[in-house]
Amino acid sequence: MELSGSVAAEPRPSTSLVMVSAINKRFGGVRALRDVNLEVRAGEVHALLGENGAGKSTLIKILSGVHALDSGTIEIAGRPVEFDSPAKSREAGIAVVYQDLSLVESLSVADNLLLGREPRAAFGFVRKRALMARAEAFLKELGIPLDTRATVGSLPFAYRQMTEIAKALMGEVRLLILDEPTSSLTSDEVRILFDAIGKATRRGVGVIYVTHRLNEVFEISQRVTVLRDGANAGTFVTADTDMKRLVNAIVGADRSPSIVSRNEPAPKRDLNPSPVLSLLDVSNDRLRAVDLAVLKGEIHGLAGLIGSGRTEILETVFGLRPLESGAIEIEGRRWLPAGPSDAIEQGIALVPEDRHVQGLVLDHSIERNVTLPRIPHFSRWGWMQQRAAARRAESAIARLAVKAQGASSLVRTLSGGNQQKVVFGKWNDPRPRVLLLDEPTVGVDVGAREEIYAVIRNAARDGSGVLVVSSDLVELIELCDRISVIVNGRVARTLSRGEIFDAEELHHLLQMYQASTPGPLQELSA
Amino acid sequence: MTELTAPNVVAASTRSDRRRKILQNLLRGERPYMLYIAFVILLVVFSLSSPWFLSVDNFLNIGRQTTLVSIIAVGMTFIIIARQIDLSVASTLALSGMAAALAMSQINNSWIVGAVAGLGTGALVGLINGILTTQLSIPSFLVTLGSLSMARGLAMMVTNTKPVIITNETYFAIFGEGTFLGIPVPIAWTLAAMIVGILLLHYNVFGRRIYAVGGNPTAALYSGINTKRITTAAFVLTGTLAGLAALVLSARSHAARPDVVQGMELDVIAAVILGGCSLFGGRGYILGTLFGSLIIGTLNNGLVLLGVSSPMQLVIKGAIIVAAVAFTKR
Repeated sequence: MELSGSVAAEPRPSTSLVMVSAINKRFGGVRALRDVNLEVRAGEVHALLGENGAGKSTLIKILSGVHALDSGTIEIAGRPVEFDSPAKSREAGIAVVYQDLSLVESLSVADNLLLGREPRAAFGFVRKRALMARAEAFLKELGIPLDTRATVGSLPFAYRQMTEIAKALMGEVRLLILDEPTSSLTSDEVRILFDAIGKATRRGVGVIYVTHRLNEVFEISQRVTVLRDGANAGTFVTADTDMKRLVNAIVGADRSPSIVSRNEPAPKRDLNPSPVLSLLDVSNDRLRAVDLAVLKGEIHGLAGLIGSGRTEILETVFGLRPLESGAIEIEGRRWLPAGPSDAIEQGIALVPEDRHVQGLVLDHSIERNVTLPRIPHFSRWGWMQQRAAARRAESAIARLAVKAQGASSLVRTLSGGNQQKVVFGKWNDPRPRVLLLDEPTVGVDVGAREEIYAVIRNAARDGSGVLVVSSDLVELIELCDRISVIVNGRVARTLSRGEIFDAEELHHLLQMYQASTPGPLQELSA
Repeated sequence: MTELTAPNVVAASTRSDRRRKILQNLLRGERPYMLYIAFVILLVVFSLSSPWFLSVDNFLNIGRQTTLVSIIAVGMTFIIIARQIDLSVASTLALSGMAAALAMSQINNSWIVGAVAGLGTGALVGLINGILTTQLSIPSFLVTLGSLSMARGLAMMVTNTKPVIITNETYFAIFGEGTFLGIPVPIAWTLAAMIVGILLLHYNVFGRRIYAVGGNPTAALYSGINTKRITTAAFVLTGTLAGLAALVLSARSHAARPDVVQGMELDVIAAVILGGCSLFGGRGYILGTLFGSLIIGTLNNGLVLLGVSSPMQLVIKGAIIVAAVAFTKR
């Protein structure tokens, strides 16, 4: 495999702009980066790939001055630099365009471009006309089609992103870092974004482009660096490589066997063929004719990229998103979800994606959280049966092995894994007919992860139908009886256990479907 | 795994740890005991500096003076725990009082009609506040800022700003001047409101949901709680209690006046915050509110007895409120 060697082999006229050498970073006991190297040339789009947790965001945070490095060097145009704050990094000419943009939505494009460096007259009055003229001239020079008078908040997301990029370029920017810029863009908007990037590189700006979408890598980048488990897994010249080789580098050719040994995949079981949950031709603002059946006792996985509509399927079933056409059946009976309380009454439970925002009241006790969706079960004539509620919380703590001092401990004081167990505890009893899980082990340490897997398997064994969304393909393969691949709001394919091979092939499949499906769902979203 | 939850660390927690924890709790725990301490200090200071302060009569006086604030503050506790605010309570009180007095004067001079009209008007204003806040997603600060003005204006319009005289003796006895088990009725009504508040907030399903909605509205929604209905109910409760306060006030003064208790909403909110409610929602309790209200009442009373000028009273009261909140916040 061509490791960093291919870099030297590529004789390019461009000069080295940023040189990151042998960077190390530790967070407590975790080595987030190990001897990572990265070279970006002037005028180059350099794609940065890797799975979640591979170290991409840590590397970016070091370059942008958010984190300090433990060892290693960063050179810009041959001069070593040290960042102890984001301001220092910005001074050195590095700009990061984050997902959540740093724009003032109530101000105009021109105001945002020149925020903090407005042309001024005496007594600090802003020379409005000069400001407009300067912003307009700059955008024209760059060839970016933005209306300087438009209020940023009223612009579509891609144009806001463009404003952000233009703002970055307005300063003395030499390196532009884009972190998954396309995950919420329509295909037309992606085009606009790529144009803007092209304009930046023609001015000699280097670009680090972080993405999960391999087809974009081939479209826009000249070189690719892949990180895996905090270390370099290869740097490639984009034109000389292909998707298969990149996937190998991302997943690790040697990893697949070790995955299997980490835990045997669930043996193929004879599933009860009666579905507990069926989606028939379900469409709404984010979904396109979704057909899906979850059988009794089945763990059914949903694989897909961020923004593909995986989460939206769960939200639709849980009554959080209106159904526009199609039908949902629970154990063969038609049912139109009216809202979460209606879904809960049907025996549907949701462990949401963001447990801090959607799953838990952090400042309340375990007991309060566990009883929240079951309040009617713990009341008589409207009065809380405090002792029954406390007993339930105690039993949930014991059964799920939540490590806490007691049912009255505040959820905020627990570790991520234990917090997630509390979210599961909310739905433990009575057993849900349908258990919807969205990224059930994100931010959970390895030990607790295995315990959560056991909880999920037990729920299925007891007859619940489980529908699980996960970006961790290894997790899906380890857990699921069947996996549906979701692309652009549709079920592209459903694989049963016999057809699922390993994470690498699943990853490959995802990318293939993503690349081969024209007209992304995002064209539907506003 | 955090150290907090690891079993071996729990076992190793020493006595000094526990003592430190108790102290922490005293200062800014789940229940800010600082509040009780502050109240006691206040009592001691005033007792030492004024010979008239420490007497049953004077305490009944304080109780009577704080009635209106205390009754409404019970409802405001629910509202603030649910992450909302109600600025319209004083205007609602004025409007409800007018409604009660007018209804009595129109229909058989019956105290029942008056009570129903007063409570009903308060509940209706609360319902409108709640519906506007939850259905149109207007921040309650703005909705109730509007109803503050509108309710006061309506109260003045109905009689062209003239007071309405009340003549029903039973009404006076029940809401204003009688005694119940030896307790003056205004204080009895305050205690009743407190007890109902404690039962609803701490023992009823409604209270659980209020805490959840205020603690994390999204998590509450995802747990199947109808957050809009719960929030609206809190506004209705507060409006109804403002109606009750209107009955007490008008029965005591034998008339309803449209210009009463202007600005009282600030005393109510101060009492609730002083009582340990978090303005960010999800935290607070009724007994704290009672003490918050008593502290404000005691301050008013004690400063008068000490002969402090009324402008100076305002300055001292404001400073003490800010200092107390700074102390008890976490």
